[in-house]
Amino acid sequence: MSAVELADQFESVEKQEHAARLGMWFFLGSETLLFGGLFALYASYRAMYPFEFHQALLHNDTMLGTVNTLVLITSSFTVALAVHYVRMDRSRLAALLLGLSTAFGVTFLVIKFVEYGDHIRHHVLPAGMYSMADSPPGGVVMGQTLYWFMTALHALHVVAGMILLGIAAVGCARRRYGRSRFIVVENSGLYWHLVDIVWIFLWPLFYLAK
Amino acid sequence: MIRAHVTATNTLVAWLALVGLTFFSFGASRVGLGAGAELAVALTISATKTIIVLFIFMHLVEQRFANRLIVIVTFLFIVLLVTLMAADPITRKTFPKAPDPSSRPVD
Repeated sequence: MSAVELADQFESVEKQEHAARLGMWFFLGSETLLFGGLFALYASYRAMYPFEFHQALLHNDTMLGTVNTLVLITSSFTVALAVHYVRMDRSRLAALLLGLSTAFGVTFLVIKFVEYGDHIRHHVLPAGMYSMADSPPGGVVMGQTLYWFMTALHALHVVAGMILLGIAAVGCARRRYGRSRFIVVENSGLYWHLVDIVWIFLWPLFYLAK
Repeated sequence: MIRAHVTATNTLVAWLALVGLTFFSFGASRVGLGAGAELAVALTISATKTIIVLFIFMHLVEQRFANRLIVIVTFLFIVLLVTLMAADPITRKTFPKAPDPSSRPVD
């Protein structure tokens, strides 16, 4: 494992790593605000169309949503353990845990796409493609559109997170990261936890509150 | 370098708490509290789970205040945005809460 290279603009490795960590938190803040706008739309339209939103969400399978919640929470746990072990210089174990977390990400996506497949078969689609009833009220279309947009955007984040975790896992397996060099693993983990937090809110809004 | 405060045991306890809260949230949605109360309970549990993920899994507990400040400001902005946008249709007195469905253009 090579030591951290200190860039010219930093006085110490500690300050360099704090800057990397702070930069990641800023990025996560901006990502959260992106989802925040969509949560605000959800709140506004749900207040406008409470009955229609209830109808729109009836198509969602609570059991599949709950299983996916447990899958993501467990993947966050394995990522947190990976960061813990890379800091203990147990890079191989960290690589294994990051690989396991990526597999949990695949599981999440498979379950989500099974659900999407079911929606498509039942013509529960976003925007004007919705054809569950002859003439669905505008609020139902809005509810299903937000469901598709927010969960698909989240799924894209899951894919991005899996790529980051995969890169970190390979780095750990090759012992590029360890006790004195783990900021890449930590920041990849932070991104994955954000993906988990977004789902922690999507789950009650789209699966429980109906 | 930062000193490690979050141990493997802390992480395991946090995971068990998150799983427990998930089942609690699922159960609370099944007892028939009413739409508004169910949503409030579910979101409160979600906020609690988020705090656990932030402080233990994301190691915010051992980081500098600058990093925590970003989380606080982001949270406040989202609360402001969501509250004001939901308050608009809820408090409308002079206009209908939602457009009349019959006035919707025919496809």
